[in-house]
Amino acid sequence: MAQILEVKDLSLHYLTRFGQKIHAVTDVSFTMKQGEILGVAGESGCGKSTLVNGLMGLFIPPLYPTSGDVLVNGESLMNRSPKDIRENVLSQKVSMIPQGAFNALNPTRKIKDIAADVIAAHSGNKNINKQQVYARLRERFDLFGMETEHILNSYPIQLTAGERQRSVIGISTLLNPKVVIADEPTSALDVTTQKIVIKMIFDLLEKNIFSTMIFITHELPLLRHVAHNIGIMYAGEFVEYGTTIQVVHDPRHPYTRALMGAMLSADSEQKNRKPTTIEGAPPSLAKKIEGCRFAERCPSARPECRQKTQNLRTVGERLVRCDYAE
Amino acid sequence: MLKKYPTVRYVLLRSIWYFLTFLVALALNFFLPRLGSDPVEIMMAQGSYSSPEIRKQTEENLRKEFGLVVVDKEGNIVRDENGNAVKASKASQLVNYISQVFRGNLGTSFENQKPVAEIIMEALPWTIALQLPTILFGWIFGNVLGALAAYRRGVFDKVIFPLALLMSSIPFFVFGMVLVYFFGVVWDFFPAIGGYASGITPDFSWEFLKSAGYHYILPFLSIFLILAGGQAIGMRSMGIYELGTDYIKYAKWLGLKETRVLTYLFRNAMLPQLTGLALSIGQMVGGALITEMIFSYPGLGLTMLKAVQTNNYPVIQGVTLLITTCVLLANFTVDILIALLDPRVKASLTMDTK
Amino acid sequence: MLKLLKNLIKEPMFVIGIFLFLTTVLAGLLGPSFYIAQPRSEFGYEAPLAPRGIEVDLSKNTLIHWVVHRGDTLYAKETIKRDSLGNMLNSTTPATYWIGTDNLGQDYMALLLRGLQNSLYVGFLAGIIATTIGTLVGLFAGFKGGIIDDILNMFTNLFIVIPSFVVLVLVSTSFPQGRSLTLIAILIGFTTWPWTARSVRAQAASLRGRDHISLARINGASNLQIIFKHILPYLASYVFMVFIMQVASGILSESAISMIGLGPLGEGATSLGVILNTAKNQSAITDGLWWGIFPAAIVITVIVFALYLLNNSMEGVFNPRLRK
Repeated sequence: MAQILEVKDLSLHYLTRFGQKIHAVTDVSFTMKQGEILGVAGESGCGKSTLVNGLMGLFIPPLYPTSGDVLVNGESLMNRSPKDIRENVLSQKVSMIPQGAFNALNPTRKIKDIAADVIAAHSGNKNINKQQVYARLRERFDLFGMETEHILNSYPIQLTAGERQRSVIGISTLLNPKVVIADEPTSALDVTTQKIVIKMIFDLLEKNIFSTMIFITHELPLLRHVAHNIGIMYAGEFVEYGTTIQVVHDPRHPYTRALMGAMLSADSEQKNRKPTTIEGAPPSLAKKIEGCRFAERCPSARPECRQKTQNLRTVGERLVRCDYAE
Repeated sequence: MLKKYPTVRYVLLRSIWYFLTFLVALALNFFLPRLGSDPVEIMMAQGSYSSPEIRKQTEENLRKEFGLVVVDKEGNIVRDENGNAVKASKASQLVNYISQVFRGNLGTSFENQKPVAEIIMEALPWTIALQLPTILFGWIFGNVLGALAAYRRGVFDKVIFPLALLMSSIPFFVFGMVLVYFFGVVWDFFPAIGGYASGITPDFSWEFLKSAGYHYILPFLSIFLILAGGQAIGMRSMGIYELGTDYIKYAKWLGLKETRVLTYLFRNAMLPQLTGLALSIGQMVGGALITEMIFSYPGLGLTMLKAVQTNNYPVIQGVTLLITTCVLLANFTVDILIALLDPRVKASLTMDTK
Repeated sequence: MLKLLKNLIKEPMFVIGIFLFLTTVLAGLLGPSFYIAQPRSEFGYEAPLAPRGIEVDLSKNTLIHWVVHRGDTLYAKETIKRDSLGNMLNSTTPATYWIGTDNLGQDYMALLLRGLQNSLYVGFLAGIIATTIGTLVGLFAGFKGGIIDDILNMFTNLFIVIPSFVVLVLVSTSFPQGRSLTLIAILIGFTTWPWTARSVRAQAASLRGRDHISLARINGASNLQIIFKHILPYLASYVFMVFIMQVASGILSESAISMIGLGPLGEGATSLGVILNTAKNQSAITDGLWWGIFPAAIVITVIVFALYLLNNSMEGVFNPRLRK
């Protein structure tokens, strides 16, 4: 089956005012097939948000691509003008469900008008009939099992948090994008609403409204129920990449293990172990780092870890960036 | 009450609030000039009187005019056993003043015995014709400029921002003086003072309108540019704030057209600016009135200036009352406008119906 | 705190603002004591550095003073006085004036420095009064919430919609004889506090729900303790910025009220507004006597501009979102 999304050795950097390069993302590679959900987890500041911009082809200074490629349906997003990206990629090929959808909707615009703006922005110069657009919106929002008329004709403030989140998902997937990137889509919701939203995402995937989803979160346990594959990010790199079962239930990289240890979960074994914390902070990305990036904080670090650059290698059928993982 | 019509209810509540404010303003208008000294004494000190009787007569008439003494049904002054006029209590003075105001009676000018209402009505059209369009257009122009500066940043912002900051720190009247000096006196492009050329009678003739238009330019510019500068500064900060909000980021992620993102930005940043307008309209009007004085523009500013110079209390009070009324009306309008334009305010109206 | 100062010094707006501000404040503080005023000229509106001289017309036994005044050369004659030995008595030494003289022939430079001092005095006093009242009202309203907030808020809004300019005019007219600088400053302070109250209230209300406030309350801190120990320190930088704006508005209000002829009265109570008002009443502008208005106008603008620059640069540093 053809790859929907191919990310090849993607590296991104920021250029500061003083000409300093900050390498926020380094050599990230993965591919996604139709119907796949990839979870990306890591601490805040690990490069998740930068990766998101790279995956959308949005290079707004001071963010620049260093090397590598992003292909959606075989079409590269690199070296394209912002206008081209805006008109032909955003919403149509790659779409975004932002963090904290609570504030993502323009407070002075009705949901149907925000949605209509999306259609208008990607219909070229064609004149669009407002009534037709509204009819199209109604049809789409009917799929979500909500009070369509109420939602479409409301201002964001008149909706509940769950309704707003679902409206955002509806708007982001309006043009049937190939890749949907969801940044903590459920973090601000209560448990019941979280479930509804997750169910909605699966529904849309099943109905082929979008093809693949990248689910970004810092809550590893949540990914267990959602993602097929998981990539763990640390200091701009993937340190472990494998199936959900492999990564969550049998983590091999010391960082993934530490991350799992730092999580509280409702598992029965939770009672028997204390949550641990990861001491220290991720390294500065302003200069090239020699050796393993996690070495400073790694509980099982060896002296040679600080010199030797670690590469991804296959350990237990998944990729791990640690020479000593077993 | 009126639960089904939150907007109507809101308008009604706001009108009541503004009416009460108006009453407070009336009370201030009545009592404040009496705070430090007795206006009647001051006015009496200005004239000369041929005999003590005439002096007493004049003073009593003044006190009657001001509603300071008790008057019977025929309008005669009520006297005590010694023949002195009976002083009215503060409360009855105020009630009397308010009832007179609501009957449209603002007293008579001491200078020429003309009714104050008449004097004000002659000046009011000039002030409204100058200030309403100036404040309105200055506000719109300044906000558009500020939004563009926020959105574009870069060179545009680097030029516009310090310029606007400088403009907004020049007092209205100082800028008016500068304009008069250069454009009216040194280069003589425009008439320096007045509302129209002397020798023309105000009517709707072409000649008058042309002259009035010509005299309009400098006062208009001196208020407009300063006001626009101040608004641009405010809008720029608001705009930069809104640019960092989630909904603008999301709109960009969705690939909305740039013009559409800009309208999102403008619409949302404009609402607090509108509130700001409601709050500062009094200050703007005050500044603009002084500009009128600089240009000897035949509006309320000049009327007030002349009245102050001659201690003409009834005229001063009449003008201040009218200014307050206009400012309250403008405020009320903006309040209602905000409620209509901002869905958040609208939604809070429906929620507040307890 | 030190870090904030370091950040501020990097802002060109702040540097320019503080330079202009210190220059004007120093000139206002020290100028009137150090500048020796030239003796009064017998000519009103003598031009800046006006060429002037004395000619002796021995045929008519007169002394002729001449000076460029209102753009024209003006002559004044007097009979030559001689002492007992027959020497000419030259009564006055002709003076030149840096920025000319006012309508009464007084040295404008001296007036301007005095006016600057007085305007700064009014601005700062009014600013202190307005900021103190406004901050207290705003803190209590914002912190207490509920009915006290409603009442204080209504009161504040009332005085915001009733133009303070009108209130100033009305009160000033009732003091036709004695309007000292202090009285004017107090009047301004008492009419402009609602602005401070409004903005401080919003800030205080946003702090009310913070954890450390709740914690202090649980620990039995009294309302006053909470307000002064836990809320005010958080708002200090904000209140300071509001104070700067209040000083600017005090200076502007003073000049505005003076322009209507309701400014400070009396010997030595010359403010920048009074200078401008006198010049306007003497039709200095329309007669082209630029030195009657421009020095005072420029000084007002420079102070206000400096204060705005300070406020804006601080806003930029305290609220990083505004920075590039």
